[in-house]
Amino acid sequence: MADRADTRDAALLAPIELTGRGFYLTVGLLSLLILWGAIAYWTQFDEGLGVTGLHQPVSWGFYVTNFVFFIGISHAGTLISAILRLSKAEWRRPITRMAEVITVMVLFIGAGQILVDLGRPDRMMNIIRYGRYQSPLLWDATSISAYLTASIVYLYIPMIPDIAILRDRLGKRKLLYTVLALGWQGTEHQQKVLNRAIAIMAVLVIPIAVSVHSVVSFVFSMTLQPMWRSTIFGPYFVVGAIFSGIAALIVAMLVFRKAYGLHGYLKPIHFRYLGQLLLVMSLLWFYFTFAEYLTAYYGNEPEEMHVFWAKFSGPFWPFFWGMALTNFVIPVLCLVRLGRRTIGKVLIASLSVTVGMWLERFIIVVPTLSNPRLPFGEGIYFPTWVEWGELAGSFALFALFFVLFTKLFPVISIWEIREGREVGLKEVEERLLTYLPDTAEPRHAEPERGW
Amino acid sequence: MPSPSGGGDMRRVTGAPDRTVRALQWAMAGLAVLFIGGIVVWIIHLIRTAWQLQDVPSASIGISLVAIPVFLTLLGVILYVFWGLLGDRGER
Repeated sequence: MADRADTRDAALLAPIELTGRGFYLTVGLLSLLILWGAIAYWTQFDEGLGVTGLHQPVSWGFYVTNFVFFIGISHAGTLISAILRLSKAEWRRPITRMAEVITVMVLFIGAGQILVDLGRPDRMMNIIRYGRYQSPLLWDATSISAYLTASIVYLYIPMIPDIAILRDRLGKRKLLYTVLALGWQGTEHQQKVLNRAIAIMAVLVIPIAVSVHSVVSFVFSMTLQPMWRSTIFGPYFVVGAIFSGIAALIVAMLVFRKAYGLHGYLKPIHFRYLGQLLLVMSLLWFYFTFAEYLTAYYGNEPEEMHVFWAKFSGPFWPFFWGMALTNFVIPVLCLVRLGRRTIGKVLIASLSVTVGMWLERFIIVVPTLSNPRLPFGEGIYFPTWVEWGELAGSFALFALFFVLFTKLFPVISIWEIREGREVGLKEVEERLLTYLPDTAEPRHAEPERGW
Repeated sequence: MPSPSGGGDMRRVTGAPDRTVRALQWAMAGLAVLFIGGIVVWIIHLIRTAWQLQDVPSASIGISLVAIPVFLTLLGVILYVFWGLLGDRGER
């Protein structure tokens, strides 16, 4: 039985066992982009933030946009994976690992943006030595640290049985896999420990994830800046984060499905379900955006209207309407009917949302700073090659981390797929019987307790 | 019931003595203690500084009341997994 399962899931181990020319080409290409980012950063480090388009009053530009965007994407992961696990959604099995990897990778990239934005990274030490908890920036530092720790743990624990499979099957990196497998033998006791730890983490990670993006929004909404001071910024950011997270997850799934031939694991039904989830989030995002802008418009406060019109018909109109098009119009048109060409439609919608959510973060950060409440005078922000380099380098670094991960560990959880075949099928049937009327109760169903 | 990923003699499998592997595994747990312990100490340091300067210590205390238990719970889960798995290498 185990041997049959071994050969059946050989496709999941193939990317680790064999390395083709495509891998080296991808790494080479990504390294070039990272090199551009590194040169850009070195230039900024050497000459100061003056080489960027940042100035007064626009002191936050691409870097803070990237920070909010990447931290948002991180919700893909852990939050979606945790919710699907807790709700016992069986179709989660080939998805969760990728979602968890995205979270860990983008959190590193997102937190790194703040270091880049500081200009003087050595001043990070000031936060450690003299940080003040009155500042939402420090709330961010704390909650992101908690989320990063939780995400690493939540990625690692469900990987342990797969690492044990690699330890026993592969002829290379024995020491690494043996150490990381923590002596996993699959005994009943070990399985119990693992399941309990996964369940605790799945519950714990949801409030942490929600708190992280709420706190990111507080960095803006705790100020008195026009169009930032909003009571719904917390949930608005969380909704946007889950929205962009699902889109990024779908794109990653499609890339690895194609690259590693995982068609048997990532089936159209997975994309259909995630597509439906993306559609719901698109509608929810539109609702929050509408509520946010309608409230500002109705209030008609002069400073707010200045920013409002700068977005609607002023210098930022292409970004604003581009955001509306890519986050709402295109996804809804693609996803409302998923009868045929599901994968193509879901891919277009996801790419569109990924671009749209980056624009959304940009349209929140920059126009307000360009039109400040204090009498600084208006400012227009033009990023220089340094910021473009950092942007390209950050995306490439994320992709490179992900690709390297897939060369070391299975990108789809092998043991969870096997568990699905061996245990999940039976469990689903029994669970279904407990939902339906006029069916015999399964033997171990809970006894009925009266009121 | 053993899983399809059966174990083997550690030295034969890795070429490294069992004790080295064990030491590395416990070093990982030690790193987690150090990392999370460091964060908790940092938060306490911020409370102390706020208290000494009378710089709204209630904010620091309020936030740490949430943050410290979260970090300690995470550490608890990590140690539970290490203890639970390393303490049972198929003997039971």
